[in-house]
Amino acid sequence: MKYIYSMVKADYLQRTRSYSFLITLAITIYAAYSFVPPPTASYTTLNVVGYKGIYNSAWVGHVSAMMTTIMLSLYGFFLVNSGIKKDIDTEVGLIIATTPISNFTYLLSKMLSNFQVLLTITGITFVMSIVMFFIRAGGAPFILTNFVLPYLFFSLPALLTISALAVAGEVFLGRRQILQYVLFFFLFGSIMANVVGHSANTLTTFIDPFGVNAMTNSVKDQVNTQYHEHIESVNLGFTFSAKNRFKTFVWDGIEWKGIFLLSRLVWVCFAFAIVYFSSFFFHRFDFRQPASKKKKQMTITGSSGAMVFAKGINITLLPPVITDYGIFPFIKTELLLLIRKGPKWFWLINGGAWISTLFAPLAVAHAYILPVLLFLQVTRFSDIATKETANRLHYFTWSSYKPLQRMLPSQMLAGVILALGLASPVMLRYAVSGDFYTVLNLVNGAVFIVLLAVAMGILSGGKKLFEISFFFVTYCIIEKLPVADYLGSMPHYSHTGYVFIISLLNLLFAAVSFGVRSYQVRHL
Amino acid sequence: MPLEIRNLTKQYNKHKTGLSDYSITIERGILGLLGPNGAGKSTLMKIIATISKPTNGTLFLDGQDIVSNPDYIRKMLGYLPQDFGVYPNLNAYEFLAYVAALKGVGGAGLTKRIDMLLDGVNLTADAKRPIGSYSGGMKQRIGIAQALLNDPKVLIFDEPTVGLDPEERVRFRQLISDMATDCIIILSSHIVSDIETIADEVAVMQGGNLLQKGTKTDIIKLIDGRVFETLIDNSDLTALKARHLVIDTSRQKELTKVRYIIRDGIPEPSSAAINATLEDAYLFLTHNKA
Repeated sequence: MKYIYSMVKADYLQRTRSYSFLITLAITIYAAYSFVPPPTASYTTLNVVGYKGIYNSAWVGHVSAMMTTIMLSLYGFFLVNSGIKKDIDTEVGLIIATTPISNFTYLLSKMLSNFQVLLTITGITFVMSIVMFFIRAGGAPFILTNFVLPYLFFSLPALLTISALAVAGEVFLGRRQILQYVLFFFLFGSIMANVVGHSANTLTTFIDPFGVNAMTNSVKDQVNTQYHEHIESVNLGFTFSAKNRFKTFVWDGIEWKGIFLLSRLVWVCFAFAIVYFSSFFFHRFDFRQPASKKKKQMTITGSSGAMVFAKGINITLLPPVITDYGIFPFIKTELLLLIRKGPKWFWLINGGAWISTLFAPLAVAHAYILPVLLFLQVTRFSDIATKETANRLHYFTWSSYKPLQRMLPSQMLAGVILALGLASPVMLRYAVSGDFYTVLNLVNGAVFIVLLAVAMGILSGGKKLFEISFFFVTYCIIEKLPVADYLGSMPHYSHTGYVFIISLLNLLFAAVSFGVRSYQVRHL
Repeated sequence: MPLEIRNLTKQYNKHKTGLSDYSITIERGILGLLGPNGAGKSTLMKIIATISKPTNGTLFLDGQDIVSNPDYIRKMLGYLPQDFGVYPNLNAYEFLAYVAALKGVGGAGLTKRIDMLLDGVNLTADAKRPIGSYSGGMKQRIGIAQALLNDPKVLIFDEPTVGLDPEERVRFRQLISDMATDCIIILSSHIVSDIETIADEVAVMQGGNLLQKGTKTDIIKLIDGRVFETLIDNSDLTALKARHLVIDTSRQKELTKVRYIIRDGIPEPSSAAINATLEDAYLFLTHNKA
């Protein structure tokens, strides 16, 4: 146990010394800036229908802390859930397995390292929230506790829980990352559905890891008391609206009741309990194979282990080389790689969702089923432009004949073919109904998500940035936020303008991908 | 078709130099690269394979500048990197078809070519299995097969015998010896005996510099008459190490049998002169420089 500090520190440094983490920090700074919008902005981050709080220490501190907690809980899981996987991939796990460290200590160090990564991001939003207070609050008195306490009681327990869930996800679902993502997606959604907008009681206080129920009820009560209203609905998150005339109210922050603080303590204990429980099921890097596979391997070793190069290669007997610089073989291989990625049984789920887009009401298929079906391919799309480096094949691919003109377009095309294939029932139904504008939007959307994956993969050199972004985009589509509508399922102000913007983004992503990859190919 | 390398420098950053003003002409046949870790062998190979660009210097193959026109060598290059990766979800056949596409090899004969290469490296029985389930040696054989897909005229093998068992190593050496008559083969290895057996010429490198290039005989000649063997008390070993370059020791109860090279001066009393090997010469060159 005494070495845990060194382990957490090493793991933390390893994770944070990457370009993708720097990009995450940059996005975090922008996000923290957007949590406190100017009065003229077309969106709010917290409002009680028609009412908005005056910017004071309590409002800025609490809203920033709450937005950080919700947002970071949502994408933090994706950000940190590969700590054990890294040890498997690098084979450091084999060394760890032979040391006296207990399963619990190892997993605890992973949880604390996850937590430290999330805490770093939280620290930045905390500082930014204070900066934003001085920018936006117009001379209101600065009260430090209105910033410290919300971060302490909202963010810390929630992020510790997320850190523990990421560890448990890796222990129980191993490399089935997509399944982890889907389960977390539903877990997060069901928690939010059961705490936001529900009245405050002991149960909701204890099932709410974020503290969002206590805060939204406190804000709502303030409005109802001050204006003698009976409002039940509170909008939390980025709510876009043309309306920017709100009545204002003064809110002095949450009252930290004993039961609320106890619930925070329970979540902290729960996080440690998850890790402790997981330690009984941790594989400790011993991946036993089923008996049938073992038998097969034994046979193979017997047949090919001893008599290698038995026949040798007579170069002069090989058929003559015929030059062919076409890209069809690439597209075929890229498609094979996309299809074979992940477990085979997952195609049953894909198939079920795909068939359902044929028969479900068209609006539902377009607005809900298709975005989720495409999101289920997240690990496939994120792999498109990153698998060469991940599999250490870039030595071949980047030094092949005209890689930019042949490899990269093939990868993009294969991804688009997959996305269009998945969207084909919806496209077909729109085409049959004569709605070719929506068909165009779907084609544009399929290209968009693939090019986004390629551009982010090439830029960051990893998969996480795209996976987190795609998760956000999908979540926002389900929440009906027009800004994330890449498939054109929501009404837009101008048809032409919408098509133009998505096409422009596609061009931008393609240009970035080709530009950066061109640099990488020349500077390996 | 000589490969002419002139004044090649690769500067990674202010403190790290991969190659320093390196010049060499590589003719048809097998050139073995020897050098300790960090000598610049992989850097040189990556530059020739067009993966990495030099900071300064020129590389000409058949009079063509391959720094500004990398596609010229790419069409005739076979390369097996030290850190060789595969797509684990593809089987051997699919993987080779993919690499063939990378190299611009296609047509009706491709299937037969892949079949014969797989047969040649004895992977036909496992050709339909995902490569992810292969052993290290099997992956290395796939790597060797892919390097030969395009009938290469320049072959670069960076530590090719890693993961191969003794019999595989012998077969590999035979294979590249057969090919050497009409290609340039550049081979690096830490195993001096591999280089000694197959290389026509040897280049000894250290710290990004070329220390010596020549045939094995030329290089061994550098220490001709300077290699000795003696039997001494265990307690005298430290003193002997201070005077000479000790190549090898083996304990025999209270005595130690020592193989050493004299730097200057005279050999130890009761020493016997022995035949020098390439390994002796390599250690002498790299230690003298250090």
